[in-house]
Amino acid sequence: MAAPSLPGRRLLGAPAALLLVALLAAGCTSGGREEPPGQATGTTAAPAPARPLEVQLVATAKVPEGGPSARRAAQQATPGLERFLGRYLTFAFVDAAGGEARWDSLLGLFDQPVRASARKQLDALSLGAAAANVSAVRPHRASARAVVLYGSRRPAAATVKLAFDATADTAQGSGQVHLRSVLQLLATGDGWRIAAFDSRTGPPK
Amino acid sequence: MRRRRGPGNPEGVPRSIGRGPGNPEGVPRSIGRGPGNPEGVPRRIRGLAWITALGLVAALAAGLVVASDPRRPATAQEAPAVTVQKAHAGSATPTLKRRIVLLTIGSDAGAPKFGRGGTMESGRADALQLVVLDPVKRRGVVVSFPRDSYVPIPGHGANKINAAMALGGPRLLVATFEQLTGLTIDYYALTSFDGLTDIVNKVGKITVNVDMNLRDQFAGAFLDKGRQNLSGSQALAYARARKTLPGGDFDRSRHQGQLLLGGLATFQRQVAEDPARVMTWLGVLRDEVKTDVPFPELLRLALLATKVPPGNVRNVPVPSVAGSAGGASVVRLLPGAYTLFGRLRAGNLG
Repeated sequence: MAAPSLPGRRLLGAPAALLLVALLAAGCTSGGREEPPGQATGTTAAPAPARPLEVQLVATAKVPEGGPSARRAAQQATPGLERFLGRYLTFAFVDAAGGEARWDSLLGLFDQPVRASARKQLDALSLGAAAANVSAVRPHRASARAVVLYGSRRPAAATVKLAFDATADTAQGSGQVHLRSVLQLLATGDGWRIAAFDSRTGPPK
Repeated sequence: MRRRRGPGNPEGVPRSIGRGPGNPEGVPRSIGRGPGNPEGVPRRIRGLAWITALGLVAALAAGLVVASDPRRPATAQEAPAVTVQKAHAGSATPTLKRRIVLLTIGSDAGAPKFGRGGTMESGRADALQLVVLDPVKRRGVVVSFPRDSYVPIPGHGANKINAAMALGGPRLLVATFEQLTGLTIDYYALTSFDGLTDIVNKVGKITVNVDMNLRDQFAGAFLDKGRQNLSGSQALAYARARKTLPGGDFDRSRHQGQLLLGGLATFQRQVAEDPARVMTWLGVLRDEVKTDVPFPELLRLALLATKVPPGNVRNVPVPSVAGSAGGASVVRLLPGAYTLFGRLRAGNLG
């Protein structure tokens, strides 16, 4: 029965087919080049500037007896934690690109008793030594899960599991950068500080 | 594609190839020889060939454009073009430079669940452990003191050491220990019967190496020798059992030290499985323990504790012997106790 193979012939008449080809070609050159989240669309050969880095955080809270509800406490803590993690990733990756790594800004986010250790382990916490070869970092995904410990009325500490993926541009081409970290955070009068970490960068396991 | 069935097309055959007037065989109209098609190649097929060729050229060109476009970001589905960064892993906990001395206190008051009224601070200190930690060497000692240790209490003469808290709260107890040992006590941590049982139950039992078979009906301790996961009530019973033990108060104070070390090992195991358990433990301590450790320091100590091997922390009963004072049974410290205090002052925790 030949009929099923034939109907397309009429529908794929020359005008429709040409339109399809045109759409196909257009799709290959624009629609198929979908930008990842956080990636600005550029029209020049230079890498497009990244949009402000946004961290998607899911938080739970442990509250004292008689304190605020856990749900409400988690909601209250979320914006501040997202901002802190956004700053961390910006210092560690986005701003570190271009050969102007400002590690002091990054290290300022660490609690004093762990800062010296962090300075020695920048490769596991950030672009590290690779920053010198990277011209731009374009974030794809920044997500985190946090368990926040409340004091009487405000957050006191938190454990954060952080995941970050991005594309980094170098003179040799582009490649992926990844960060997977567990951060133990301490709430201070100056905001959150990293009191301990377990972190890795580079290709995912 | 429309293959609508209906009048004149009962089979749902596409209308373009249906039989009809002038095409009784249903042959596609474009097939047939004619002017400009001497080979009889169907016009539609020729058209499709062109379209296909055009499409291939366009797709190939587009593909080349995409492949060579330096702006195009790599996606998760593609192999990265270059390796930007090799794999690196690292970790760190707070680096504390100085020795930490902590006095842990178990009060016999402030436990409504056990019928113990009053406040924890006003009770007698029936469980006393001096924890000395060297953060740099990641070593520690838990020195267990019998509650009946007969010692000088500042401003109150000699008395059983557990009376110090009842006489002047945790601060007098701390002062008593500082005078006795010559060590500066940085912090104290105080809990009750209720507090201990709640801590253990809330963290989900603690693992303790029970060092003897226990059948102590007075404390409700019925445990077999060996590695045991103790509930809150079992942990309390193990900490309280005394009357049926061969060493009496000496065995009891050693068991209390074992509970501390069991708690440390359990904490470490849980945090290794889930780092967020640090928050669980700190939350439990927040609810069940009174302490003068500032919270930032408490967090740092907890994080540091994740890296101190339990085997590096010794449980040492203070050298002492049973005696009497004024007709009452007491425990007198032996000269070895003061030797031990001297070694601790010198930083020798080995």
